[in-house]
Amino acid sequence: MKLASGRSGRKNRLGAVVASLAVAGLVLSACSSGGDEAATEETTAAETAATEEAASGEGPIRIGISLPLTGDFSQPGGAAKKGYEVWQTLTNQAGGMLGRDVELVILDDASSQEQVVTDYNRLINEEKVDLLLGTFSSLLNYPASAVAENNKYVLIAPAGGSPKIFEQNFKYYFFAQQAVGPDQGNEMVKYVESLPEAERPKTAAFVTQDDPFAAPVIEAMQAKMEALGVKTVYSEIYPPETVNFQPIANAIAQAKPDFVAQGAVFEDGVNLIKSMVQLGFSPNMMFQTSAPSNGLQFSDAIGIANTEGIFYAVSWTEKADTPGNAEFVAEYQKQFGADLIPEEDAADAYAAAQVLQAAVEATGGLDNTVIQEWLHANGVTTILGDLSWDEIGRPQGEFLLAQWQNGEVEIVKPDAVATSTTVINPKPAWQ
Amino acid sequence: MQFIQILAFGLLLGGVYALLASGVTLIFGVLDVVNVAQGAFLVFSALFTWQIWDLFGFEPLLLIPLNGLLMGLLGWAIYRGMLVRVAPQGPGMTVLLMFGIALILEGILNLWFGNKFKSVTPSYYLSSFNFGDIVLPMPQLISGILAFITLGLIYAYLRFSWAGRALRASAQNKEGAALVGISQRSAASLAFAIGAATAGVGGVLLAIMYPIFPATQYDWISRLLGIVVLGGFGSIPGAITGAMILGVTEAFANTYLPQWSSLFFYGAILLILLFRPQGLMGTKTREDVVA
Repeated sequence: MKLASGRSGRKNRLGAVVASLAVAGLVLSACSSGGDEAATEETTAAETAATEEAASGEGPIRIGISLPLTGDFSQPGGAAKKGYEVWQTLTNQAGGMLGRDVELVILDDASSQEQVVTDYNRLINEEKVDLLLGTFSSLLNYPASAVAENNKYVLIAPAGGSPKIFEQNFKYYFFAQQAVGPDQGNEMVKYVESLPEAERPKTAAFVTQDDPFAAPVIEAMQAKMEALGVKTVYSEIYPPETVNFQPIANAIAQAKPDFVAQGAVFEDGVNLIKSMVQLGFSPNMMFQTSAPSNGLQFSDAIGIANTEGIFYAVSWTEKADTPGNAEFVAEYQKQFGADLIPEEDAADAYAAAQVLQAAVEATGGLDNTVIQEWLHANGVTTILGDLSWDEIGRPQGEFLLAQWQNGEVEIVKPDAVATSTTVINPKPAWQ
Repeated sequence: MQFIQILAFGLLLGGVYALLASGVTLIFGVLDVVNVAQGAFLVFSALFTWQIWDLFGFEPLLLIPLNGLLMGLLGWAIYRGMLVRVAPQGPGMTVLLMFGIALILEGILNLWFGNKFKSVTPSYYLSSFNFGDIVLPMPQLISGILAFITLGLIYAYLRFSWAGRALRASAQNKEGAALVGISQRSAASLAFAIGAATAGVGGVLLAIMYPIFPATQYDWISRLLGIVVLGGFGSIPGAITGAMILGVTEAFANTYLPQWSSLFFYGAILLILLFRPQGLMGTKTREDVVA
């Protein structure tokens, strides 16, 4: 059934479609420029006032942040915004920094690598903020880190531990979690190594999203597991837009691995597990990167019974006995809902702000070069625990190994911070 | 046997893609409008399904008629309220309008549902149907079957009803159709309503298969436009063929070379367009100019 006809008509239509997309782009860019002009005018007045206030040492300390509040990363971006806002509230309640209130200037980068560059340039050059805090994900912090470095602004990132970022050898970039991305699986590997040889997995499947944070974790884990004598029977990378995981789950099932490790962001982690359940393949051990850290979203999606025994690396837990953690959780619940457990992404943002606060208070000023030098030489205690960095901003600690147990998340390794002495192994079959 | 298993995955997925893409191609065929908001319509319907399921525990599939009707009405209202006024300004403005509607819908969904994935988990969402050694995941099987039934109903409506024939006549020759008394405005309203209704039905099917999040609209619209370009803009059989090619290609690529699965699909589009610039089933005949 043809609904349209005509050669020239079709050419005209396709031409018109192309033209229309171009027109749409032009109109949007025109609107955007117009908006920028208006914003610039407003900003000029604001910036004059802010500069005067800053010069006099009065008024709030302004901290610029770009976050993915819309688009693909809006979920972690929205959580990070909450974490920053909780920090702002608690800090101002305690008298601010250097005796001044803190004010957050948050822009939306729409999950775009281009927009995040525009945002940080605007925050530095037009808004003339005193300090910066990082955006979310390695993908966005990669271009953002270059803007900060060029302008000699410290950028402390709550997420952004991809090796690619550190290949730039920047001095002003700091990743505010315990370890860089590839080390996320270290505790998992150590746990496997600690098992008697007979109980270790013999074969493993490694599958990851083509994501700058997830893929290095799985690649590093594969190399370490192979060094332990675990044979790789499946190793593949899939594009971020993949939604249909039955073929991948089927290929993994055919390889019959004892251990499955997936570099999963969220949707992909859920879809692979659902596909494995549907196909009736249950590995003895299952590790994923970020997906299982999404609490109820994760357990609702795969069924609470199927979470049992799933491992993942995590930077924070609401049960952690770290200084200030209880206050963070309480203020988060006061602001966003008494029955809500803060997202790990919110806690990471809170910790990034704590790092900045510690450096500002220790150096007694807002000089970004001095702050940078101080952070390279000193550690900071945060709700994630103690953090410290090397000469290019790489954290020097280890992530925690978490496991879903009886519908809750428990830290199982390292022993010093474990919330449970039990490790479920092997994982029970899917329900 | 593995070949048949993978083919089955691909065909079931292709069936759902076919339904989703048919609305885009139908709207283009009659209105010359590239409905870039179809992804947002889909996600809207899927999240609405989650909301009703979450509140009342309804079997989500029972919402198919309601969602189809509601999205059809929304489509009709968008056409009558906005699109009809903008259409004379040319395709550029209609694309811009639909893009704006998609962004507004995404914003509303973000406010309504928050930045979190929502999952609809009826009793069968983790089960599968075993046909010998072939495993067919139940949500995909149900969705594939319902997609084909819906496509069959649309086909029958367009083929055999007077309104459907009027719609096709209007698509083939607007001036000629107008000369025999067919209102272009009514035909266009109907086409837009049916196109949006397919997103209403498709949204329910997506909801039982995948976690849904407002920003996933971008992934879906890019897939659907790829299918429609491959099949030929304005051709429903073309959209079905394109969807099947995508579904099967994706299933085999994800089995053997998942890293290159996107390349296979877009490479197939490139190859086909090299030899058939109008798409697989796009027409290439003399324009019947009446005016």
